Amino acid sequence: MNQRNFLFAVLLLATYVLVPAVFGDNNYVMGLIISALIVAGIAIAWALLGNLGGMVSFGHAAFFGVGSYASALLTMKLGWPVLLAMPMAGLIAVLFSAAMLPALRLSGPYFALAILAYAQIFRILATEMDWLTQGAKGLSRIPTLPVLFGIDLGSRSGSYLVIVTLLAAFIACYAWVRRSHYGTALRAMHDSEQATRVVGVNSVMLKAWMLFLSAFMTGVIGAFNAHTINFLEPDYAFGGGWSVLPIVAAIFGGYRTLSGPVIGALCIYLIDQLLFKSLLPTGHQIMLGVLLAAMILFAPDGLLPLFRRRHA
Amino acid sequence: MKQRLLWTTLAAAALSLPTFAEEFAVGVQIPLTGAQARAGTGMYEGIQTAAELFNKGNAKHKIKLAVVDDESNPAKAVSAVEKLAAQGVVAFVGGFASNIIGPASDASNKLGLVYMTAGGVDNDLTRRGYKTFFRVNNTRGYEKAVVTLLGELGVKSVSVVYSTKEATADLAKDLEAALGPKGIKVSMHAFDPAITDFKPIINKIKLQDKPEVIFMSAYENDYVGIIRAAKVLKPEVKAVIGVWSLATAKMAKDFPDLMPNVYGTSMLPHPVEFKQAEGRLFAETYKRLFNKEPDYQAQFGYVKGQLLFEAIARSADAGTLKKGGLADELRKTNRDTLIGRVTFDASGDNPNFQQRIGQHQAGGKIVIVSPKNEASGVAVFPGLPW
Amino acid sequence: MAELILQALYSGLLNGGVYALMAIGLALSFGTMRVINLAHGELVLLAAYMAYVVESRLDLSPLAAIPLAMAVACAGSALVYLLVARIRKNRELNSLMLSFAIGIIITNAVLLIWSGDIHSTGSVSLQEAVQLGSLYSMRSELYGFLASLVLVTLLWQWLAKSWYGRAVRAVSSQRDAAKLMGINPAKTELISFLVAGLLAGCAGVALYSSSVIQPSLGHALTVKAFIITVLAGVGSVPGVLAASVLLGITEALTVTLWSSAVQELAGMLLFLLVLFVLPNGLFGAARRRA
Repeated sequence: MNQRNFLFAVLLLATYVLVPAVFGDNNYVMGLIISALIVAGIAIAWALLGNLGGMVSFGHAAFFGVGSYASALLTMKLGWPVLLAMPMAGLIAVLFSAAMLPALRLSGPYFALAILAYAQIFRILATEMDWLTQGAKGLSRIPTLPVLFGIDLGSRSGSYLVIVTLLAAFIACYAWVRRSHYGTALRAMHDSEQATRVVGVNSVMLKAWMLFLSAFMTGVIGAFNAHTINFLEPDYAFGGGWSVLPIVAAIFGGYRTLSGPVIGALCIYLIDQLLFKSLLPTGHQIMLGVLLAAMILFAPDGLLPLFRRRHA
Repeated sequence: MKQRLLWTTLAAAALSLPTFAEEFAVGVQIPLTGAQARAGTGMYEGIQTAAELFNKGNAKHKIKLAVVDDESNPAKAVSAVEKLAAQGVVAFVGGFASNIIGPASDASNKLGLVYMTAGGVDNDLTRRGYKTFFRVNNTRGYEKAVVTLLGELGVKSVSVVYSTKEATADLAKDLEAALGPKGIKVSMHAFDPAITDFKPIINKIKLQDKPEVIFMSAYENDYVGIIRAAKVLKPEVKAVIGVWSLATAKMAKDFPDLMPNVYGTSMLPHPVEFKQAEGRLFAETYKRLFNKEPDYQAQFGYVKGQLLFEAIARSADAGTLKKGGLADELRKTNRDTLIGRVTFDASGDNPNFQQRIGQHQAGGKIVIVSPKNEASGVAVFPGLPW
Repeated sequence: MAELILQALYSGLLNGGVYALMAIGLALSFGTMRVINLAHGELVLLAAYMAYVVESRLDLSPLAAIPLAMAVACAGSALVYLLVARIRKNRELNSLMLSFAIGIIITNAVLLIWSGDIHSTGSVSLQEAVQLGSLYSMRSELYGFLASLVLVTLLWQWLAKSWYGRAVRAVSSQRDAAKLMGINPAKTELISFLVAGLLAGCAGVALYSSSVIQPSLGHALTVKAFIITVLAGVGSVPGVLAASVLLGITEALTVTLWSSAVQELAGMLLFLLVLFVLPNGLFGAARRRA
């Protein structure tokens, strides 16, 4: 256990200090890493819902978009400080996810596509409510992250520290839920929903909490993205990519593990942008498709468990 | 094989040494995949033509293009700008769609590099007051063109069918605001870009609005759907007018029986008849490089590339290029181009820009019919595809 | 106003026919294998590109492409089946992901081969206006609707009367019992995927003949087909046709009475409403989705 803690400390130090120290001057590489970590954040939220809640979502773009618009509007129209607006955006995403509660009764693909329908509905609402969202034209000049304790969080290195901190908090929260008695109850629920109900666990309530938690995380990530890219429009904020890439990333890394989604996102995004894109300028996503198909056929538990098995 | 390649490269390098031409890398951040791929590819071809012609006619300076596909995604556009800046480009040319150009030019402004575009028409882009941002076209230019055409045709009522996308919705709303005070009756019909059956909209226009003209603010796939629906329902209008990507040789070739008499913005007639030598040279070079007729995207790409490259050469001669003098040099631009006179105001906009309107006419020809002083032929009015 | 609504109903009805061609294949493969083929829309799109190839290269009517389109879509559908059948673990999630990955591959392959340009038929006769009283449509839309009626009827009869058809139905309602009765479930599943491919082939040609195709369209087609499957409920072929027509009419009426900008919204709301309120769909046999 001590050795593990030590490893963990080394890893943490490397992420916080080494990465900005080595790549800090290279905006391009830092930009790529931040983009990959944004995908990783959604992937964690997605995996939490899938792993603990037992629900596969095809529409996390719904929470992402709501969170990004909420934070942008809070800062632009009401003048909220960015760092306060971001958690609030997460809560607003939770509020919107409450509209999805009826979907919790649905199983498998029905739930997945019901959430997708929500993402579409939110996108159309964002386009139509132009008095609030400026419609298809979108919002530009969204405030950037502020300067805090002398660190410009709006710079690439600063944004990197913010997203890494967010991810660390998400993973810690995920780990805590998994270990708590909720986690035990949730695992029991997978085995037999009826049995748990008999023992007195309210399975719908548990699932609802997981949905809220996942929506909150995704909403905060959406808000972070809005303040780093400084612009939003409905097709972008609710774009299918925000639903798809995290799924691919989580599956690739291993969605039943804590760090799998993050490792998956880093691998997928960086390989795609640095390697596939130079090999195949147009249509390089075909490689992602091939990769995903191969993973499901040959290593359905993802990269991380695959390595562990090899080294066991 | 590898060795031979190496030797060839070395030989080429040795040969190119004695010319002493100073080479400048220019970054091209443009969509080659994703939603904007078609427009982006056309523009990129125009930029390549501009570089080819510039390098041929200029012994002292050479332009080298470095291109990165932004995948029609704003975050990747920002990455592209940063990647190219790290490679040492002196300026950027490219971009398509305002909401991608916005963040990308934010990034280039932070880096203090000039960003030249022809693909973002949103008014907000020039409201930022960047010293480094330049564009040759804007929504106003499209709006002016349509208002002029409707005035010249003496139209009193128009139904606007528009896609709920940024540029299309913007233009539709600006047009509504511009036509209202002129006493022209405007009715608006928004549609979601995902829809394919336009008959219910056209039927509303036919039975409720009864306008003289249908105006479409949309993209190619929408045009095909709208005109087909109109051909089926045959509303009693006098003209069908659209904007970008409509009055093109490609549309005439792909959809020969949908296009007759349809109007769309176009800088060039087809077959291309250039009045100036420069235009002919552009068309010939483009044809040689890409084995097809230039379209209007290529032309915009060419003009923005050309103006930027010329400013780079001037700035290099004056010795101000490395000291951030390119923006000032570009702001001195004042010349006739293939898209009319170009100058830049303090915000980087081109106040002279006005689109022209072309009409698909007999024999697959596209004739420029408006404004009158630029026309290459007479409008067929009333004139319909059915 | 009455004229507007009548035309909207008619347009919606014809569109519904083409929707049904796309959705029945998905519903069939879902029924037998409990697997949603998320590449189904991409297969339809691939078939549509076959029609484009035949028309542009061979200068033939898109209708001549039906055999080729069917063959390609069938082969694709069979490939999806064979790959999905290999999945042993957590089949519900993994089959979704796998077929989704195949969809990504097809979409990008189409982009690489035919570029991002838009295509649609240039055939004058298919695009011609046909008038029935005061109702208008394009000839290709009418053809598509009639073809859909014929194919749906044939499929219905086949499922009801033929041995394989009954086997498909048996497997979709009681897999284990069917096995005991001497039906080979694997073979039956393959057959249902092949039939789905045939229908996807026809749907593709109908799509190319009446609207515009481009590489990114496939995903939207899959979603539409799934919405219809949900509306219809599992296990009813005429139900799929009825649900398709219902969706088509809802969309057309939304445009007529409100705005085209919210057409998609109406479809999605209808989908959620049925999903939450009618757990078995509008026409499905009693079976819960929970």
